[in-house]
Amino acid sequence: MGAGLQSRMDRLFNRHGDGRAVCVAADHGYMSDVTTNVVNLRTILDQVIQGGVDGVLLSPGQAVRLAPQFQGRDGPAMIVRADWMNMPRLGTSNVANAVPQRLLVHEKIVTATQALELGATAITIYLFLGYNDSIEAAGIDICARFAAECRQVGLPCIMEPLAYGGQVTGTNIVEILTLGARMCVELGADALKIPYTGDVKSFRRLVEMADVPVLVLGGARSEYERDALELFSEGLEARSSGCLMGRNVTKSPNPGRLIEQLCGIAHNGLSVDRALCTEEWDFIRLKAHPAKCTGCDLCVTACVASHDRGSYGTHLARLSITSASQSGGHKVMFCTLCKKCLEVCPTDALRWHPQTGAVELLVDNCTACGDCVDVCPTGVIFHSDSGIHTSSGEYLDWYPIVCDLCAGEPECTRVCPTGAIFIAERVELT
Amino acid sequence: MDSKTYRIKEFFNPADQRSLIVDTSACLSLGPLPGLEIFKQDVKPILHLVDGVVTSPGQVQVLSGRTHKDAALLVRADWTNAMRGPEFVLPPDKIKHITLINASQALELGGSALVLYFLLGHEEQIEAGCLKMTVQLAIEGSQIGLPLIIDVQPIGERVVLQSKAVELGASYGLEGGADGIAVPWPGVESFKIIIKMAAGMPVWVKPRTIDNAQNEIDEALQLGATGLWLDEKVFAHPDAAGRIESLSSQIYPAITIKEGPQESL
Repeated sequence: MGAGLQSRMDRLFNRHGDGRAVCVAADHGYMSDVTTNVVNLRTILDQVIQGGVDGVLLSPGQAVRLAPQFQGRDGPAMIVRADWMNMPRLGTSNVANAVPQRLLVHEKIVTATQALELGATAITIYLFLGYNDSIEAAGIDICARFAAECRQVGLPCIMEPLAYGGQVTGTNIVEILTLGARMCVELGADALKIPYTGDVKSFRRLVEMADVPVLVLGGARSEYERDALELFSEGLEARSSGCLMGRNVTKSPNPGRLIEQLCGIAHNGLSVDRALCTEEWDFIRLKAHPAKCTGCDLCVTACVASHDRGSYGTHLARLSITSASQSGGHKVMFCTLCKKCLEVCPTDALRWHPQTGAVELLVDNCTACGDCVDVCPTGVIFHSDSGIHTSSGEYLDWYPIVCDLCAGEPECTRVCPTGAIFIAERVELT
Repeated sequence: MDSKTYRIKEFFNPADQRSLIVDTSACLSLGPLPGLEIFKQDVKPILHLVDGVVTSPGQVQVLSGRTHKDAALLVRADWTNAMRGPEFVLPPDKIKHITLINASQALELGGSALVLYFLLGHEEQIEAGCLKMTVQLAIEGSQIGLPLIIDVQPIGERVVLQSKAVELGASYGLEGGADGIAVPWPGVESFKIIIKMAAGMPVWVKPRTIDNAQNEIDEALQLGATGLWLDEKVFAHPDAAGRIESLSSQIYPAITIKEGPQESL
């Protein structure tokens, strides 16, 4: 691989040193009818860049116009759509289209050199399979010419095999996509942009036999962001190198947040559940400095006051202070998020709270077995004073009281006059 | 200021940054049109009334000798028979669309911009060709600082939704790299979308008629149109210069000079 090509591949796939890229396809205005994501392109681009996107696919015209937003070392890579097709507007019965198209047309629009001059880090081109032999042959010709041009100027060529047309059925689509992926690689693709095949096993096979970086595309927008994240997560599980998602991101109510979530999964190894909490995620961990603790118990009192107004005594406090017999000092006992209670619970009644990261009790799952109380190494899970009804009407004589980190703003840290207990760090929970 | 911006400003009114363009290039496809039979004689009288005149490459020289008060020249870069109807002496059997000159040639002719049709509603290959021409001329133009204006023409028989077709043409023009677009008046809602898409780029509106266009011109200007783009039909008006002058006064806010108290001598 030439130095120029390697350098641009790194720009796209190695911004985070993990060989992965979260990219957005924003070239729809070039091929489809005018939709909201086309009209609001500039705003959407601002948001996805803010979200940390690694690359953005644009039409040549928008590449010129929006080039300033890609400047700088931290800017995303610009991918230029080098060809054009009318597939989104095909169908004479499609009355939603202003000017319906009858025949699929696929054309080469800019050369690799022109794309490079526009500032492209890579180009993207289609290869249609399943429409008819002429379109396939023309696509092969376009891809071969681009591959040769790209090699000459050191520009990564991302090919996008698409299964579309009368020859494509529900049963052969995976086979056609696998065929297309391999054909693209044989033609000289440096990377692939390809639809997810629907399951990890078949997609992994595609990725393995392609043996170049594979970016999964999102397809039509799902109503639920989770769907896009799960598709992406499965793609990564199948060893893809990231995504080049379009409408799922550009039509999202919050494109920037979705990019953050995708980046969280790709670059930080987050689960989908964890990534979905990007915005409010404020996982904190408490720590203590025993030498500073005077044993004043203010933290204990504040804990009870903030949670159990009206109760008598401090036995319900989610932390405690004990005397360290040898040193004569004090020891602050609090929830360390050790996860033992979650692991021991036989009914999954305890989990990480998705917003605060504290231990949360799901009362409906609890059987009041007491295992969590017994296992807590710091002894800060207690029996409640009173019982509780579950939503099914069952009555529990007691339930475990756990530290909720005061929804992210622990009272104990706020009131401690010496700073003996404090928020030490954010913590990744698994 | 880069050279492209410099050239764009040549066909804008410096006082208010609005623009009135007259397109005379239809003769390239339709021959001598009413009011444009003798090009030099018919066009020269209106040069001082407008900001830009679109001409075919061959007529550029005819308009030499312009002063700073006269219109800038915008050069038509393409030819098509799509404007010819069934009644035309050579009715089109198949729609054709080709480029005539590239950006460098237009610059050598003294053009301040290139103008290209974007035809919608014809065969798929015509549309694909328009897109390719747009991108190529935009890239060439960017290299030498010559702006490209896309003249949206949703006139093919396949157009189902006229206003949406205008939006589509505007979108394709912008995605292709145009520096400005001229669109037929598509109605308020579609024009709002086009203005939003253009994000500050010049958008000229082509009124549906010359005589009763006051409302749509007012609406377009209020929504953010750059100005008017008049086609060859304005020359068919019995008083073409008078009509252009009247439209000109409509797009440029009236400038009044308050008389101060005269000192008695």
